Amino acid sequence: MTTVRIQGLGKRYGSTIALDDLDLEIGVGVTGLLGPNGAGKTTLLRCLATALAPDRGRVEAYGLDPAAAAQRTALRRRLGYLPQDPGLYPNFSAAALLDYVAVLKEMTDARRRRAEVRRVLEEVGLTDRASVKVRKLSGGMRQRLGLAQALLGEPDLLILDEPTVGLDPEQRMLFRALISRLGETRTVLLSTHQTEDVGALCERVVVMRQGRAVYDGTPRGLAEQAEGQVWLSAEAPDGNRMYWRNADGEFRTLGAQPPNGTPARPSIEDGYLMLLGPEIAAGVVAR
Amino acid sequence: MTSKEAATAWHVDAELLDAYAEGKLTPSRVMAVDAHLQACAQCRAAVPSDPAWLDHSWSLVADAVQAPRPTPAERVLRSVGIPEHRVRLLAATPALRWSWVLATVAVLSFGVVAASTGQAGARITMLLFLVFAPVLPVLAVATAYGPPADPMHELTATTPMAGPSLVLWRATAVVGVSMVMGAGAAFLLPGPGYWAVAWLLPAFLLCVSTLALATALPLPAAAGVFGGLWLVVVGGVAMSGSAVQPLFFGPSAQAGYLVAAAVAVAVLTARRRRLDPGETR
Repeated sequence: MTTVRIQGLGKRYGSTIALDDLDLEIGVGVTGLLGPNGAGKTTLLRCLATALAPDRGRVEAYGLDPAAAAQRTALRRRLGYLPQDPGLYPNFSAAALLDYVAVLKEMTDARRRRAEVRRVLEEVGLTDRASVKVRKLSGGMRQRLGLAQALLGEPDLLILDEPTVGLDPEQRMLFRALISRLGETRTVLLSTHQTEDVGALCERVVVMRQGRAVYDGTPRGLAEQAEGQVWLSAEAPDGNRMYWRNADGEFRTLGAQPPNGTPARPSIEDGYLMLLGPEIAAGVVAR
Repeated sequence: MTSKEAATAWHVDAELLDAYAEGKLTPSRVMAVDAHLQACAQCRAAVPSDPAWLDHSWSLVADAVQAPRPTPAERVLRSVGIPEHRVRLLAATPALRWSWVLATVAVLSFGVVAASTGQAGARITMLLFLVFAPVLPVLAVATAYGPPADPMHELTATTPMAGPSLVLWRATAVVGVSMVMGAGAAFLLPGPGYWAVAWLLPAFLLCVSTLALATALPLPAAAGVFGGLWLVVVGGVAMSGSAVQPLFFGPSAQAGYLVAAAVAVAVLTARRRRLDPGETR
């Protein structure tokens, strides 16, 4: 079911184009946004989260258009947003911070609010840190607290800007379990630099580059973008190719077949790198 | 025989369990049953329990332990009848932090101390006070809402509570606090008493004008315009050696401030929906 419609969205900062006539439809489930820094991921998420007004085009989520004041507030009632830099007040305890955000989300009844705060603390595994000040929490815990505030009020639309930054592998597992459960009934849109997150979590992935969507489909389909262009060889290939030495000591090459190269199964990362193409490839070769 | 085996060899009988569940046992026997229950899953399962009641009890305990403790300022606000959830919002106002309060107190006490010690300098200090005191509440308004004062602004701005009423509540709170501090300092100043309150009306005018202009400009920019205008004009006249007090704080000036403030309130009321642009551009 389509819940979010984006049509002809454009945004520029001075001469830099952040979003370039972007069209996108997103539905219930977990959608991942991949792309290099400056591709427009954060700008897109901020437009959807009603934090930023686009220059051109239209955003509509659950039938609500944030350009109109009344609908914007209505959309905010159904929104959970984790900004890239949430700026959580360092002197607030985890519980006090969530309590404050719960008030901002119009939960006026103190008892109901505390119950909701306890619920989200439990969800992210921070129950035993409820009274610890934000500045004394580790990076991963702070990240989970940021996620907890987004979950307050059980929003239909969850927008998470790089939610897995700073999580260790165990926390990442918990995060994936939580997000995939939420994705059964809600629209979850998250940006990430981790292709493993996309493979493990997202039924759909959108690759952005220079303000446009250059791929929109399944993670498997993204891997297939590199089909027939991934090779393993015992010796380093010559010439201007993108390659690296993998953990088995073999050379993994992307692109044309190197001498004595045997075909290998492409990963999501291979597909992503092939999609981004020449610049990225040049960057890898330059190293 | 170890104590563990002893625990499994003996079990709480039905009669004892009933008495325990109904709270009819003496404290020492309760402790004995407690100790056994901790070690014996079989007896533990036999204790009648009501999950809903347990959940409720646990939530009461957690409430008491985790509930953020209200600060003295929050208690004062509660006692004058402001609802608990609104007090929470006001208490998180970026400007209402100890750092800001202490900075304001420091500036004001410097003025008071300087005025009280040097007879020759007293007039100049009075002048400085009159020039700078009206700007302090404006600075407070500038830092009441939005970037750069509020690190959580991005989050705050995307909640349903964001908007004009939140800006106004916070601005009123910080103006109130800084006015009270300024008034306290003013009464400690030497010199004719009415000077000490002469700054209140211009301060109020500057704050309301700042909020009115904030319907078109970001809050810090609006504060910069009116705070800067005041400092340049009044400060400039003071530097030129002209008499500042009759010109800016005399009866006709005060009447002018009152009229201007009424106009600013009208503008702010008419345009209040634009106080928060909603989304940044």
